[in-house]
Amino acid sequence: MSTSSYKKQDPYSSTAGLPDKMAVFQECLQQFNATPVNAKKCRQLLAKLLRLVYHGETFPSQESTTLFFSISKLFQHKDVSLRQLVYLTIKELSSTSDDILMVTSSIMKDIQGNDAVYKPNAIRTLSKVLDSTTVHSAERLFKNAIVDRNPVVSSAALISAYNLLPSSKDVVKRFTNETLETIQSYKQFPPTQFQLHEYYGSATSNLPSTSYMYQYHALGLIYQLRSNDKMALMKLITSLSEGSSLKNSLSIIQLIRYINKILLDDSSLIGHLFPILSGFLKHKSDMVELEACKTLVSLQHLIRDDQFMAIVTTLQKLLSVPRTATRFAAIRLINKISIKHPEKIMVVNIELESLINDSNRSISTLAITTLLKIMGAGTIDNGSGGSESVDRLIAKMTSLMDEITEDFKIVIIEAIENLALKFPSKHKKLVTFLTDLLRDDGSLQLKTSIVDALFDLIKFLPDPSAKQLMLMNLCEFIEDCEYTELSVRILHWLGDEGPNTSNPSYYIRHIYNRLVLENSIVRSSAVIALAKFAAVCGGDVAKNIIILLGRCLNDVDDEVRDRAAISLKFINSNKKKLIVSDSRYDLYTLENKLVHYLNDEENFNEKFDIDEVPVISNEEYNSIEYNRKINKLENINDNSAVTEVEERVKSPTGGEATPGDSLANDLLKQQEYSQQLSGVEQFVEYGKLTKSTIEPVYLSERESEIAVSVVKHLFIESKHLVLQYNINNTLPNTVLQDISVVAQPDNDLYQEDFIIPLAELRPNDTGIVYVSFTIPDIEEAELLSAFGNTIAYTSRDVDEDGQVDPNDDGGWPDEYQIDDLEVLACDFITPLYNSNFTALFDQLPYQDTSVVTINQVDNLEKAIEKLKNSLNMMPLDGSDFVSSGEAAHSLKLLGKDVWGGKVGASIRLASTGGKIVAKVEVKSETENFGNIVISSVY
Amino acid sequence: MSLNISLYTISAVLILDNEGNRVFSKYYHSSLEETSDSQFETSSQQIKFEKSLFGKINKINQDILLYDNHLIVYKQTNDVIVVLVAKINENESLIYSTLANLFEAISILLDNTIDKQTILDKFDMVSLAIDETIDDGIIIEYDPATIVSRVTNPPSSHYDVNLKNIDISEKGIFNALSFASKKIGERLQQGL
Repeated sequence: MSTSSYKKQDPYSSTAGLPDKMAVFQECLQQFNATPVNAKKCRQLLAKLLRLVYHGETFPSQESTTLFFSISKLFQHKDVSLRQLVYLTIKELSSTSDDILMVTSSIMKDIQGNDAVYKPNAIRTLSKVLDSTTVHSAERLFKNAIVDRNPVVSSAALISAYNLLPSSKDVVKRFTNETLETIQSYKQFPPTQFQLHEYYGSATSNLPSTSYMYQYHALGLIYQLRSNDKMALMKLITSLSEGSSLKNSLSIIQLIRYINKILLDDSSLIGHLFPILSGFLKHKSDMVELEACKTLVSLQHLIRDDQFMAIVTTLQKLLSVPRTATRFAAIRLINKISIKHPEKIMVVNIELESLINDSNRSISTLAITTLLKIMGAGTIDNGSGGSESVDRLIAKMTSLMDEITEDFKIVIIEAIENLALKFPSKHKKLVTFLTDLLRDDGSLQLKTSIVDALFDLIKFLPDPSAKQLMLMNLCEFIEDCEYTELSVRILHWLGDEGPNTSNPSYYIRHIYNRLVLENSIVRSSAVIALAKFAAVCGGDVAKNIIILLGRCLNDVDDEVRDRAAISLKFINSNKKKLIVSDSRYDLYTLENKLVHYLNDEENFNEKFDIDEVPVISNEEYNSIEYNRKINKLENINDNSAVTEVEERVKSPTGGEATPGDSLANDLLKQQEYSQQLSGVEQFVEYGKLTKSTIEPVYLSERESEIAVSVVKHLFIESKHLVLQYNINNTLPNTVLQDISVVAQPDNDLYQEDFIIPLAELRPNDTGIVYVSFTIPDIEEAELLSAFGNTIAYTSRDVDEDGQVDPNDDGGWPDEYQIDDLEVLACDFITPLYNSNFTALFDQLPYQDTSVVTINQVDNLEKAIEKLKNSLNMMPLDGSDFVSSGEAAHSLKLLGKDVWGGKVGASIRLASTGGKIVAKVEVKSETENFGNIVISSVY
Repeated sequence: MSLNISLYTISAVLILDNEGNRVFSKYYHSSLEETSDSQFETSSQQIKFEKSLFGKINKINQDILLYDNHLIVYKQTNDVIVVLVAKINENESLIYSTLANLFEAISILLDNTIDKQTILDKFDMVSLAIDETIDDGIIIEYDPATIVSRVTNPPSSHYDVNLKNIDISEKGIFNALSFASKKIGERLQQGL
């Protein structure tokens, strides 16, 4: 005892003083069962026990129960302070012990008693030891406690009732009246319950008379009881928001959340509820103001622009409060607004600029990214003549660059790149900014991010002169580049892009310089780059390069010699394909296939078939890349953005979590479908699967008794369409038999071939019904169709063992109507990227035009979203971005149809009187296909 | 962005020492939502979270950050950090105020000295203060003075002095003597 207590004094040992579990256990049994009980010692022992519990130690069930039993002995002792800790311990042990019910009567006695100090603790502990069968006995106690004049007792009862909700809602429901009464009542702390601590001296007069927390708890409980009664809830909100019946900030926050919830369900109430919310924008507590802002921002689609300004004003005020948490919250919200509506928050520019040097890193990061977005929007809004604003942005950035750390520079570089991608017309200044930055000093990481940005811009910017400029800058950069890794990447890139420019000899000169001056790694990649020039340009260029490469055959490094030799061989024998390729295998599928191949040794009997892996042409690969870039840009919403930026800022080496790999996943999914279908013998002769919809379309509510989703598979070579109905039986006691789907096309040219029905579907199982159609030729007018769908089945009851009752009369046949399904243009198109839409569009031979009204949307943004989905084409030149307030917009879409032809659509949208009218101009390489696209726009 | 309309606000209360070891840890599992994340299910998951969180917040006084899809607020003094973990979309100001008030309450209870040793010595007071502030993730009380007033002092010793506990037999005195001489011996050795 003496030595152990001495050891405990050592504050430097990491487990300093963590008592031994079994020793504490033994001591507890001993002390708690002693007579008389030593209150002081027992409280210390309980504290030790709690330390173990809060350290994550658990006692086995047996010991926990023994412990529990001996703790219950302590109820004999009258000491208030001991009793309070006993309750806490019981509460913490209740989850692991078995016979917890035995303390119920002791606890109930305490609740009925008048000792105010531990009464709340007793009530809260009671809810832990009760279960749904014993809760009835405590009903009366709870009711009395809720209406108790002591706010702490009332709160404890309300919280306990709240915790009992999942297990015994019916009992808690009977507290409704008491709870309602409590919200509006005034309760005061009784003077006796206060424990005096030195800090306050002897006077309790400077303590608040009440903290109104019971309002918060009562409001929380009443919502759970009333949540499905909208009228009652509205009444509650209206009555509570009047005057100042809610005194507690937390309860006001809760009220605001209920308003938010109601508005999410029924947005028509905004007119009535907005004044209440906007009233909370000017509250003495910043957490209430913040909650009001949060709610209004999430509902911003319901709010008029002038109303929105009030939110921004409040946020602006919150940005300059000393409390870090509030500033953080405000900037988080502003950043969220800036993603969609950067123009609305331009007024906070000055505050944002001052936050860049905030001591909290999250705040400064958010300030920078937000500022960039606002400035980006500023440059766009001023239209084509607004070169000043670009200048201003660049000037601001340049001055920023000196002040901030390298991590932030990378954030800015990415933002600039995104800006240039999104708004190609503004690229010039932005590119200059990047290239200037490339010349400054910087670490490998910084340079890499600049070079990455330039690569992307070279790939995706339409203007060839901009490309030229950037490539030349890269050439200059490698003249004086200290990082081998970067030189190699740039040389590779020059090899890919350089030959297609107007002056390849310029690049050849620079690359050859590397060959003379650099180390062997750079030299060998320079050799390959030169070979590419020779292969693509041919003629004199090739001749010169052969001479240059000939010199490399005498290089001191064997890798350089090897590469030079093999390149020369290829060039001389005109094997262009071996030097430059215009397509590549889909790596994700390849990996998947290879892993699959290696998993089973039996596979080794046959050769791995590389033809199963789809080949992606460079054009398609670019589409995927571009989409990924843009998606990444758009998906940067609140949470991920902050965490992502944070993560990257703090751990620069950490790899990015695969964002936007959805396209690669799509390809995988397609493979899966193809494998699945090839397993069905009826489909074998259909040949190669051309295209499937990736995401199943739900034709019923996901929660309905029989949930149905559908996937469309298109076999274009054999002109078949297979509808795959995934049917999920959610009925617990029913087996469905002989399930088939009757799909009725409204297009006579669709011929139903056969249905593969499902014999039986057990509860909670999912099965598939296939329906196959022969579809018309593209030459024959109508290709689109809508299907009316009905499921037919025989339903039979099952007993608890899941056995079909043999005596029943074979069940009863039933039908179930599900939503219609449409075959639209999107089923025939995959998105395609091209950096020069206008030129390509003009070349497409077949043209169709039409003017249509787009249904069910009321603004341009939604219309564009809808068009993108129903056509499945790629929006180009950043034309899917509309700045708010615009009345007309032009959307450029490009895709590739399943017959291999390109199809482009130039859609001019105008918004008049709440309706969206579109003038669609479609050009395609496949005859008649334009028609189909136009019919899908509505 | 899912809206939290339940009263369950706080996901965890932690007190970590200057090496990231737990001094106090309590994770709340809300019983109302079935789909609550199972991220903190096991003790090893919790400790892993605490260790990596500690790496992010130790000696960086930023009050608040988003980490691992949680909203984290914390205060560091001497050799301990008090941390509150909440859902990512929770009202930042509310959570921070709760922490600040809890912190103030504890510091009153511990006579303005929050450090590991004092917390361990008065663990009963600290546990009670936390229990009076947050129960099952629901914020019970918010005003530091009220929280403090709800925490009982340990029973005072003079009130409970029991003569039986003092051993005045010969053996008892001998024990006391031998203990004292051993102590003195140790001290002397340390001094040398």
